[in-house]
Amino acid sequence: MGASIEVGDLARAAAAGDPHGWNGLVERFGALVWSTARAYGLGPDAGADAAQTTWLRLAEQLDRLQDQHDRLGVWLAATARRESLRLLRAGGAEEAVAPYPAMRAEPSGHEREAQLWRLVRDLPEDCRRLLRILSTVPAPSQEEMAAALDLPVARVPAARAACLRDFHHRMATIGIKADADDS
Amino acid sequence: MSREPNETFDPVSPEDERLVEELRRAAGRFDSPPAAVLEAARGSFTWRTIDDELAALAFDSLVDQAATAVRSSGGPRLMTFTAPGLSIEVEVSPVGPRRHLVGQLVPPQAARIDVRHADGITTVEADRLGRFSASAVSAGPVSLRCHLAATPAAPPVVTEWVPL
Repeated sequence: MGASIEVGDLARAAAAGDPHGWNGLVERFGALVWSTARAYGLGPDAGADAAQTTWLRLAEQLDRLQDQHDRLGVWLAATARRESLRLLRAGGAEEAVAPYPAMRAEPSGHEREAQLWRLVRDLPEDCRRLLRILSTVPAPSQEEMAAALDLPVARVPAARAACLRDFHHRMATIGIKADADDS
Repeated sequence: MSREPNETFDPVSPEDERLVEELRRAAGRFDSPPAAVLEAARGSFTWRTIDDELAALAFDSLVDQAATAVRSSGGPRLMTFTAPGLSIEVEVSPVGPRRHLVGQLVPPQAARIDVRHADGITTVEADRLGRFSASAVSAGPVSLRCHLAATPAAPPVVTEWVPL
């Protein structure tokens, strides 16, 4: 999705005043900015605030970020992370997590997806953030994940593997099969 | 949903690959970015300024309060923005869902100030002592754009966006 258009071209077009370039950046990274805010536990309103502040900052600083135009996803992920933390510090931004009914073993289809999604929400903070951001479409690059999580880039593959391994264990513990089409 | 061409991840097991694809479907189903959020993101482009001097947030009392684990109940928040040759001090008080701003330019001087916020732009004047105020500013990201009276030809000074 949009992979054939280089991010740098979009950024340079936007910096030159072309709204199509800007809209292309939103299409490419809108989900990543949103996912990052949600990964840090912001509710829908605070998430919208963090996202909007992130995009406003980009609009303001786009001209000054020429050396990062080709890697703007990294800048956006880092900024979304910082704005999310700022709102969390201010208080009142966290998502109120309602209790949900006990999971039934061997769910299928949408119910399975819903249970997997709730399982992500209940993970310890580090893996919850990582898997939430990993779940973004278009998929984030390794660098973008590192920026969103404030991890060294080289640590991301191992952290991802560890979180997926842990997630598989949790699935097994509550009776969700590893594969949706297992019979 | 193919992998990005520039993604440099090490290969994952097929089992992990399938799980990640499932999580991505779930994300799309349960928590894709709301249309209003993407619309606001597109609309942010109209706020960009060209050649303005950017004043960074140098001090925010909200940060200090968090560090001491003391949360004032409705007290004013103090912020200082700095650019070369100009500081902008702003005191923010909540008034219900809106914000009241009281500010000071340093060094003291007259200016026209555009308070940019979610509902649009509120323009106020700083007097010759650099004092200004703005009422009923909507909560959310805010940026001040200062046109100094002494140097009308110079680029305005604009503060970085800060959520209030």
